[in-house]
Amino acid sequence: MERSIKQYETDRKEAVRIAARLMLASGTTTPRVGGVGECTIHIVDDECDIEDICQKMEDMADIKKSWAFFRRDAAMVRDADAVLIGPSLRSLTDPADINCNMCGKLVCEYLKDEEKLPADPEVAFTGPLCTFRAANIAYAVDGMVSQARNLGIDYGVYWSVGAAALRMGLLPRATGFALAVAISITEKSPFRDIPLKYHEINQRTMNDRMINRLWPQFRSIYS
Amino acid sequence: MAIVEMDTMVRAGLDRAVELMALAAHNSFRFNDRNTVKIISVGQEEMEQLAEYCFSLGDMSPLAARDGRHLVQLMKEPCALLVMGDKRRSDFNYNCGACGFRTCKELNTAEEMESLTANGPSCLFKNINLGIAANAAASAAHRLGLHCRVFSTLAFAAMAMEVITDVDVCVSVSVSAARKNPYFDRHEFWTKDYWDEIFTKEFPTYNRGFIGAVED
Repeated sequence: MERSIKQYETDRKEAVRIAARLMLASGTTTPRVGGVGECTIHIVDDECDIEDICQKMEDMADIKKSWAFFRRDAAMVRDADAVLIGPSLRSLTDPADINCNMCGKLVCEYLKDEEKLPADPEVAFTGPLCTFRAANIAYAVDGMVSQARNLGIDYGVYWSVGAAALRMGLLPRATGFALAVAISITEKSPFRDIPLKYHEINQRTMNDRMINRLWPQFRSIYS
Repeated sequence: MAIVEMDTMVRAGLDRAVELMALAAHNSFRFNDRNTVKIISVGQEEMEQLAEYCFSLGDMSPLAARDGRHLVQLMKEPCALLVMGDKRRSDFNYNCGACGFRTCKELNTAEEMESLTANGPSCLFKNINLGIAANAAASAAHRLGLHCRVFSTLAFAAMAMEVITDVDVCVSVSVSAARKNPYFDRHEFWTKDYWDEIFTKEFPTYNRGFIGAVED
């Protein structure tokens, strides 16, 4: 590899690291309902760790039909340079005690008494959760997105990543709900202009087929 | 050359800013591209109604009463209020379980619980889309240099007073062009005696050396 190209690649990776941390800062300082902290933000910028999450998403895609799009999400997230995951740490165990009825239980005491869904493979988040608390994650996600836009970085928001990370035990134990923002510092956003059947036909699988599969035969025939 | 007074410019700027905030909220990220959030801007007259309603909740909700009293103060200087809301039923078909139902269909057919604050049970992703829109409006306000705070209380009041209709969950973003930031450190609402009394009541162990001490 040319030295200048290698330097560009190193600097690009460094830009991802810096941008992810600036996005974490912006997501952390967004409003929280009642001014009570509830959300941490976890950066995954190692490509092996991102791959682990993507494989878990693909496993989850097989569980039920309505999650089939997880496979497509996984194909996009594989191309991401970093993923920021925002878990909600109070929505599961600590209702806001403002009796807002967004969860439909009228008062928070009833929500506390309500039995949670079991942690089955078919359940992504073991609700009912405190909806009022979980709304904090919306603020955190938009804080991250807003910073990404300021920095001119491509982003995608995925709940499938949050659900997979939760299932893998990557998030704090009290997590009830999680969303993720994937970022990419590349010349073409991997999160936009996504063709149909993207989980089957994408740059990675095309490369596999066109070059890795054909080249050895081509070489052996025409050598 | 015509001279435009500062107050006129501030008022006009605020009106324009509210439009831009609504635009930012309207164009913000949405899960599944479901742009169903309803956004309204609330005028002076309706804001007075909301303030009265919140204040009238008094002991039932001290937080709402405080925000009602605050809104009265706020209206003495240029301010505006965006209220946004959405329906509670899921059109995502994510079947994620966060609402406590295994499937979106179960949520959508569950009995509706009406209340003055919100109608539940509601889809968490509807709320997330709403929250992202609210934060986008707040973010636009921040960039435009406005004082800003997100209020649930005022939104609940707007729904109860039917200022915003045809929604089940809502949130409000209040902005102000006051001379100083009116939203935080609102110490003027509390006398020292009142504050000391409440603090002692709420945090009894703070001034008590031994937590096993017998209360009066």
